[in-house]
Amino acid sequence: MDAQPPLKAIVRLEAIAKSYRLGRVHVPALAAVTLDIARGDFLALAGPSGSGKTTLLNLIGCIDKPDAGRVIIDGVDVTAVPLHRLARTRSETLGFVFQTFNLIPVLTAYENVEYPLLLRGAGRRERGERVRRWLDVVGLTPNARQRPDQLSGGQRQRVAIARAMAGDPKLVLADEPTANLDSETAAKILDLLQRLNAETRCTFVFATHDPALIARAPRCISMRDGALVAEHAVAA
Amino acid sequence: MLTTIAFRNVFRNRRRSAITLLVIVFGAVGLILFGGYKNRTFYALRESTIRNRLGHLQIYKRGFAGAEAQKPLQYGLENVDELRRAVERDPRVSMTTAQITLMGLVSNGEKSETFMATAVEPEKDRKMAAQRITAGSDLPSNEPDAVIVGRGLAASMHVKPGDYLTLMSTTTSGSLNAMDVRVAGVFMSGVKEYDDRAVKMSLPAAQQLLQTKKIERLILILHDTGDTAAVHSTLARSLRDVEFKEWSQLASFYHQVVMLYNGIFGFLGIVVFAIVVFSVANTILMSVFERTREIGTLMAIGTPRGTVWRMFLLEGVFIGLLGGVLGLAAGALAAFAINRMDLMLPPPPGYTVGYSLRVMLQTPILVTSFLISFITATLSSIVPALKASRLKIVDALGHI
Repeated sequence: MDAQPPLKAIVRLEAIAKSYRLGRVHVPALAAVTLDIARGDFLALAGPSGSGKTTLLNLIGCIDKPDAGRVIIDGVDVTAVPLHRLARTRSETLGFVFQTFNLIPVLTAYENVEYPLLLRGAGRRERGERVRRWLDVVGLTPNARQRPDQLSGGQRQRVAIARAMAGDPKLVLADEPTANLDSETAAKILDLLQRLNAETRCTFVFATHDPALIARAPRCISMRDGALVAEHAVAA
Repeated sequence: MLTTIAFRNVFRNRRRSAITLLVIVFGAVGLILFGGYKNRTFYALRESTIRNRLGHLQIYKRGFAGAEAQKPLQYGLENVDELRRAVERDPRVSMTTAQITLMGLVSNGEKSETFMATAVEPEKDRKMAAQRITAGSDLPSNEPDAVIVGRGLAASMHVKPGDYLTLMSTTTSGSLNAMDVRVAGVFMSGVKEYDDRAVKMSLPAAQQLLQTKKIERLILILHDTGDTAAVHSTLARSLRDVEFKEWSQLASFYHQVVMLYNGIFGFLGIVVFAIVVFSVANTILMSVFERTREIGTLMAIGTPRGTVWRMFLLEGVFIGLLGGVLGLAAGALAAFAINRMDLMLPPPPGYTVGYSLRVMLQTPILVTSFLISFITATLSSIVPALKASRLKIVDALGHI
């Protein structure tokens, strides 16, 4: 492994390319993307659908592989490691928040938050403490025993955020986290995410085309046709 | 947590799980009922074969089985009373009866036929009741020269009860001898080939015809069939110069029936196995399809492949356990109901009376049915579970 990346960057992408096969044609999704994401960033990836935001998130999230280039997460080059060997990296370093919340329907809010802790082999007491703390942080202590289908969209997304945060990840990836929520709920979710970013210094990366989210992100990168087209810092 | 998720997922699509469980339950009930019927049939056939014909053990003079005798009863038992006393000392022995089988010519004065006679002790033979008297009386105990003849032989010889026949046979010294006998009755065993040649006579009459005091074999009937091997080995230690045959060595028809029924049972087992395999595999596969995005999520947040595999396998295990237990309960209930209804079945081939449909519940059948349901359900979820664990995360997450 050459060129140890500066410790400042939690994510370093070097000349990433990725294309998908659609029937017989190859559709380029990302072309030669190079990007550093610093620890503690609150970064929005903006752009129309099909611009490559989700693909980029997938590559950072170690659930997809680039065709070319290197992906370095927290100083480790994960490009050459098969995806199924990266399960541990995903559970220990990363947290995921999805557009459609993606909670496990048969588990209660409490159990959903506990699940990633079990994957990491946390002990009973530690799990209990963390789950209670995070449910409290997202304001869902009274809903701990409810299952996802008994929760509202905003509540579900808060459970998902608690699930992502419970294991103290270094990086949380969120694909359109507010797209399925009304604007008022979305604003509350954003408040929560920003607060968490400020309090924990955990890095947040969003793919979004929600202007409200873009407006609140200190750093925003616009994408178009699989390339980064503009980067602008927004005054917070 | 894995167990919790798998268990709750079983009840997620209630209708589909219910149908799958129903398939398993029906399969298990089928196996239990047929298995129980099979057991009952084996039991009934075994006991009737033993108690009506073969006895549990037969004692012969040493050498009987190995050598072809050059003269009748060359390998016959002498000192029968002594032997009998020795055997009957054993409390497990219920009854002993002496027999001779002999062959010869039977004549009515106008034509002759070959006959196969069994010489018996009349009172004891009546207890064994292998045959049904169709005319006249059973073999009388106080009239040594009375015989009963098979229905076919009676027809062929044109005799009815009260008529006389002449039996001719070779004596133990090799010369010919003949005696006149009175036909006391006509009987039917159910097997035509046997009834066409069969004669039953008293032991003294046969001994007189063969000019001997010997008998061919001593038949032992025990209180409990399960004691056969034990009694055999006890007697084999104390008795000299004799050899034994257990009923099982002689009951070829019983063994054929056992083989046939076990074959059918095995086939039924395979059918149930196949149905359960497809049904459970389908259920788990549908779950995998429906929950593709969930699987993607689980893997994205760091669930290893092996864990996903185990999760779906466990679902099959739970379905199997549940189906197995419900199947046992339903099978036992159905068996109980059938036994209570007292259904009559028509007489089987070779028999003249019908018998009631009974299902005998024995542990091996219950265990087998349970294991077939359980193991099958588990096995059939292996492939769908593997499919789930091999999903590409990105594709799975994009799945609607």
